[in-house]
Amino acid sequence: TTGLQVSSGLQDLSLRDRGGRRRDFHDLGVNTRQAMVHVQESKTGFSGRMIKLSTNHFRLTSRPQWALYQYHVAYSPEMEARRLRSALLFQHEETIGKTHAFDGSVLFLPKKLDNKAGHEDALLFFIVVTELFSRTRNGEDVKITVTLTNELPPTSPTCLQFYNIIFRRLLKMLNLQQIGRNYYNPSDPVSIPNHRLMVWLGFTSSILQYEENIMLCVDVSHKVLRGETVLDTMHSLHSQVGEERFRDTCAKELIGLIVLTKYNNRTYRIDDIDWDNNPKGTFRKSDGSEMSFVEYYKKQYNIEISDWMQPVLISQMKRRRGNIEGSVALIPELCSLTGLTDKMRSDFNMMKDLAIHTRLPPEQRQRELGRLLNYIQKDDNVQKELRNWGLSFDYKSVSFTGRVVQGEKILQSGAMFDYNPQFADWTKETRGVPLIRALPMDSWLLIYTRRNYDVANTLLQSLFKVTPSMGIRMNKPNMIEVDDRTEAYLRVLQQRITPDTNIVFCILSSSRKDKYDAIKKYLCTDCPIPSQCVLARTLTKPQTIMTVATKIALQMNCKMGGELWSVEIPLKQVMIVGIDCYHDTVSGKQSIAGFVASLNQTMTRWFSRCVVQSRGQELVDGIKACLQTALRNWSKWNRCLPSRIFVYRDGVGDGQLNTLVNYEVPQFLDCLKSIGSDYSPRLTVIVVKKRVSARFFAEIGGGLRNPPPGTVVDTMVTRPEWYDFFVVSQTVKNGCVAPTHYNVVYDTSQLKPDHVQRLTYKLCHMYYNWSGIIRVPAPCQYAHKLAFLVGQSIHREPNLMLSDRLYYL
Amino acid sequence: MDENFQEEFTQIIKFQPPLYKQRYQFVKDIVEKYKPKKVADLGCADCSLLWMLKFCSCIEVLAGLDICANVMKEKMHTLSPLPVDYLQPSERSLTVTLHHGSVAHKDPCMLGFDLVTCIELIEHLEESELKKFPEVVFGFMAPSIVVISTPNSEFNPLLPRVMLYRHPDHKFEWSQAEFQSWALETARCYNYSVEFTGVGHPPTGMEKVGFCTQIGVFVRKYPQTGESVQSEKPTEAVYKTVFKAVYPSLKDEKYLQNAVISEVIFTAQIIKHRFMSKRKHGDDPERKSEFQPSVNCFSDYLGKLVVERNMEPFVSGNEVYIPLATIFSFPKVNRLCGTFEKLCKLIAGKVTLSSDGSAVMFNIEHE
Repeated sequence: TTGLQVSSGLQDLSLRDRGGRRRDFHDLGVNTRQAMVHVQESKTGFSGRMIKLSTNHFRLTSRPQWALYQYHVAYSPEMEARRLRSALLFQHEETIGKTHAFDGSVLFLPKKLDNKAGHEDALLFFIVVTELFSRTRNGEDVKITVTLTNELPPTSPTCLQFYNIIFRRLLKMLNLQQIGRNYYNPSDPVSIPNHRLMVWLGFTSSILQYEENIMLCVDVSHKVLRGETVLDTMHSLHSQVGEERFRDTCAKELIGLIVLTKYNNRTYRIDDIDWDNNPKGTFRKSDGSEMSFVEYYKKQYNIEISDWMQPVLISQMKRRRGNIEGSVALIPELCSLTGLTDKMRSDFNMMKDLAIHTRLPPEQRQRELGRLLNYIQKDDNVQKELRNWGLSFDYKSVSFTGRVVQGEKILQSGAMFDYNPQFADWTKETRGVPLIRALPMDSWLLIYTRRNYDVANTLLQSLFKVTPSMGIRMNKPNMIEVDDRTEAYLRVLQQRITPDTNIVFCILSSSRKDKYDAIKKYLCTDCPIPSQCVLARTLTKPQTIMTVATKIALQMNCKMGGELWSVEIPLKQVMIVGIDCYHDTVSGKQSIAGFVASLNQTMTRWFSRCVVQSRGQELVDGIKACLQTALRNWSKWNRCLPSRIFVYRDGVGDGQLNTLVNYEVPQFLDCLKSIGSDYSPRLTVIVVKKRVSARFFAEIGGGLRNPPPGTVVDTMVTRPEWYDFFVVSQTVKNGCVAPTHYNVVYDTSQLKPDHVQRLTYKLCHMYYNWSGIIRVPAPCQYAHKLAFLVGQSIHREPNLMLSDRLYYL
Repeated sequence: MDENFQEEFTQIIKFQPPLYKQRYQFVKDIVEKYKPKKVADLGCADCSLLWMLKFCSCIEVLAGLDICANVMKEKMHTLSPLPVDYLQPSERSLTVTLHHGSVAHKDPCMLGFDLVTCIELIEHLEESELKKFPEVVFGFMAPSIVVISTPNSEFNPLLPRVMLYRHPDHKFEWSQAEFQSWALETARCYNYSVEFTGVGHPPTGMEKVGFCTQIGVFVRKYPQTGESVQSEKPTEAVYKTVFKAVYPSLKDEKYLQNAVISEVIFTAQIIKHRFMSKRKHGDDPERKSEFQPSVNCFSDYLGKLVVERNMEPFVSGNEVYIPLATIFSFPKVNRLCGTFEKLCKLIAGKVTLSSDGSAVMFNIEHE
């Protein structure tokens, strides 16, 4: 007889999502904790004061002795179409029952099927004999063999995947609309006519095995939709930029965006625009016949395409039907845009208007979630479905205690400051205090257009007022007036920069990106000099000019290699590394990894490099080279090699953890080995994730508030198979604060979890572009800044002469 | 049950497009011809015909009826509005409803339809049900047009795998004569005319066999019955509604208002943008961007507008004013509102206007 294997290994992850994808978004089955002996017993810290927290997680409960039965369904002869396969199978509803989940080959039932056929080897055979069920072209009868393959316990990875699929089914039953991976309520949209935007409220949901329970984590999600078609957008772009720049602008604005179509409920990413095609063009249908788009949409959907001259959008389909790549052509007129473009994101007013609707404060956020849970609880059909599967939810979110670790002391030139934990900001406290290392501005250029002559002078006066107290020695700059053209700026740079120049300051009159890009490119590659570009507009308001000048002075000091403040770091001989990635969405061809490593004990100086990689290449090879040079530089600064290395790795997407653990970490180890046979530092690799759906709420005075900075969570909502924790490090003015998730995937440091948590939090204090605590450790934010600058403006690796300075701030 | 697969895999006869598609296309052609507003599909099964019909722009009410609720539920979500339907509400209104019930029972929700389709339905009816069917459909519902399709048993010998009937649930399959006599009798009885046709041509030389699927198109001979007549048919609701979707439509004031506000602000911003850049750069003819002839843009329109004096935007203090009259003259706004009064009414309190209410006002202090 067949041995029933009740396994819960990864190989069982066989349930398919819509579209047949099998991506493991939740990084299930990556078990990194088991290799770290020192956190087997406990991975929790101890320092700080206790705080009562609630969260957006809800327990999933199943009835006692619950199990899910997994069956393999085979067709003889083999059937291709998934629809046909289900249709054939569910003719036997009286046998199978009304409650089932089937993806075409794997069937899940809440019950065990009776052994009717009495066959020894299989648990159940039933054979469709009547020729009326024959569906094949040659008229063969179809035999359906349903074999029990697994009896799954509630915590098996397959079960978890299954819960997620069932939960999505429930959301659908509640009449929520699926867009991408989330579900939205279309009936009550917020419209923002000023920007032609519409915002739908919806939910992201996932059901996972957490520390002690299987829980549903659900968060409010907002979908920004646009009330215009891609063709509308093309028209307005045309009227804005004119014929000459039209195509380029369209490519820049549209490629990478996600569109919805008028006729089906699917989303597509625009990968290209085919200007040589139009709706009159033809395509080959699956039956091999040729048809024009106009004809097809008329016939299939009764849609008349009105503009026959519009180009055609191309969307690449990845991994459809057995890894065959193909592309889909879309008609701009029939596509609606979703989401925001980079340009929209940089529109302050638009983002402000959006934030009113999307930044929900804790109480309101929990209220929205409560509403969803209430719908689930009240809807008869939903409850029936849950009952049939033997599942239910706790309709109250879980609560537990977290810890708030002690605030850090800010050290600056012998002085020590506390900051108000409510704001997590020390701008006021450190005002007028000399910097740790102030670099002189003996020789510098101030470049401006004629129109901005006054602005330049006001700025200069303000800088002269604010710099002395910081300890910055500043001479009068070389003031240069230029025409407002890119070439004019570049010519001045070529002619006037001398070997003595400390820094170049450009006042730009408009936010035209090409000018900024050209200046940055020249000064980061051909002629490596720190530079500061500021929009004239930011300098025109008298009431803010002193604040702006202060900020600029600090920033310029960092760019030249200065140091502002520090916090106490008790670990010695440590090198901290931060890595983040930038993916060029416009051309879709480049990925850039920013790599930043500390150079000194106080973590006030950093070595920065980046890797520019084309599609298909692995970033990690470049990162390895960066690590090598970083170690060389560290040893130059410290006359020895670091005995501990911490890598904070940001920019790891959902489902990429496995690759990181199995490929990238070994490469780091390889790299360390190559330094010397006697060199074996302790290595800790921590994956940093900003985009998590977990939210924490402090229960204060009967209400819900954002937890204060320094809140650490390492129980209940963490994952048992990981050495992970959450830190809330920043504060927000509006909405809910997002905790950052840290997953220690490799650790030979032997440090206690508490120390790793504290070190992480300390590093969030060290980002010099913001005198306050930020969301991620400073090296990650530096790496992000660098990768962004290179990806947006420079497109190749900057000159290594600059690598010991924060020139990209 | 999806029985659409059955007829397409025979070795001797293969229909292209598949026969079920030909039946649906037949219904679509009827819809194109008669432009009915209210259409009901009896025996709608997995709703695939309804799904096709929802794209027909003349239809405002679409109803489905089936004896099996589960088969309807399987795909009923495909009848829900799509995100884009909310983003760009259509001019027409559309309501889709699915009912669970039998064609042997009368329910007032089936009154007032223009077209009723019964595609491959009657052969599934028990004798008792078939007997009541004409009274329910022709007597009670009494739509202007009824389309009934059913297998033609004379064609069965050409389908090699068909022993008795084409599907195990079929209670009978009629020859052409049988169907036609039933249909003529029914038509006579309820004052309809009927014409016979079909889909699925017989092979050459065997034309006598007739279409694989025979179809009767019934047209009511007497004029539309008024509401009063319908109310003379007192019946209780016996069907159970399993699904209802109301599509967003501009006929609904809520959606119309949103659309108008959005269009007004958008248009005003375009006018403002052009006006401001013109002010800034003067009337430099080279700066006027050119437009593709195919792109029917507002740009040409703006050129014409300058002629009419009091419709030009103007600046006063920190504000720029775009006259509503100018905005109203844009085709899109005009089409949405119809009258200038309606425009004023719809945007009242929702768009910042000048004190006399004649122009949209923007603050340009920070530009």
